[in-house]
Amino acid sequence: MEQEIRACLDQKRYQEAFERLLPEFQNKVFRLAYAMLGDAALAEDMAQEIFVRIWKALPGYRGQSSLSTWIYAITRNACLTALKASGAKREVSMEAPGVARTVEASGTVSLPAAGAAIDVLRFLDQLPEKHQQVMRLYYMEEKSYEEVARLLEWPMGTVKTYLHRARKELAEAVARSKMKKGTR
Amino acid sequence: MACAEFEQLLLEYPELENGARARVDAHVAQCSGCREFLDALLVVDSQLTAEFAGQEVSASFAPAVHQRVQSAAPLARPSLVPELLDFAGWGAIAAVAGLLAWWLVPLVPVPHWELSLDASFAAAGAFLLAALLVGIRSFADLKD
Repeated sequence: MEQEIRACLDQKRYQEAFERLLPEFQNKVFRLAYAMLGDAALAEDMAQEIFVRIWKALPGYRGQSSLSTWIYAITRNACLTALKASGAKREVSMEAPGVARTVEASGTVSLPAAGAAIDVLRFLDQLPEKHQQVMRLYYMEEKSYEEVARLLEWPMGTVKTYLHRARKELAEAVARSKMKKGTR
Repeated sequence: MACAEFEQLLLEYPELENGARARVDAHVAQCSGCREFLDALLVVDSQLTAEFAGQEVSASFAPAVHQRVQSAAPLARPSLVPELLDFAGWGAIAAVAGLLAWWLVPLVPVPHWELSLDASFAAAGAFLLAALLVGIRSFADLKD
């Protein structure tokens, strides 16, 4: 499909190229935006805006990189700009003293009852921004390290390191929550 | 929490091959710390998969994009100038070839060929015009 789209662009058939690339990339762009922004509604709105930018930039696409690389770069840049404009979230590590206790005390842990759920998402929101992004994208992209690395344009080793660290922190928070439930 | 030796294996548990997984399973059966860690990882995976897997845009996404695109400034229509200059360029090449033939033919020792002054001016003018057209064509290419 990418070859067909590029063929349209080479022949300056921009409308046709856009009609082909929209269904091809809309979900990937949305998922990348969701991973970076952390909110589905905001991500869908941003994804729409991103496709407008792609539409305007089509005549300038010279084919130096693959079409997907180009589109994902536009997506990342747009999301980073939006994050900066809204003020970056304070990066907090679960290892920071008191953070884990604060999270647990804020009511994210249900009363100790059989079957009571632990809200992992609340713990996720406490992680550093990059950990959150890679975690969201990992589960959205069916746990594919390669796909996460491609979308974020990170080395594979970096992706695995961030994922393992984030999953470890979340698992430890969950385990501490369970222990607290057991001792209340 | 988890034993240091098994922590990485527990994090990679779903991807472990049979031999490594059997070793981890045997250890987890006897180690409460690792068991709790693995259980917690399963809770994390389960909840985050439920939350994030299968995310797709809504049905109204594509129509909304089209509406925004239509509201945005239209794309500049592709200019016809490069195509026109292409034509002019080929015409100029043909003119230059003709001029060269015009100049070279008299060198061929055929008695009845003569070159008048008017023809010389015409040939020079045609050459200058051809050179101008070729130049404009090159300029258009550079601008692209």
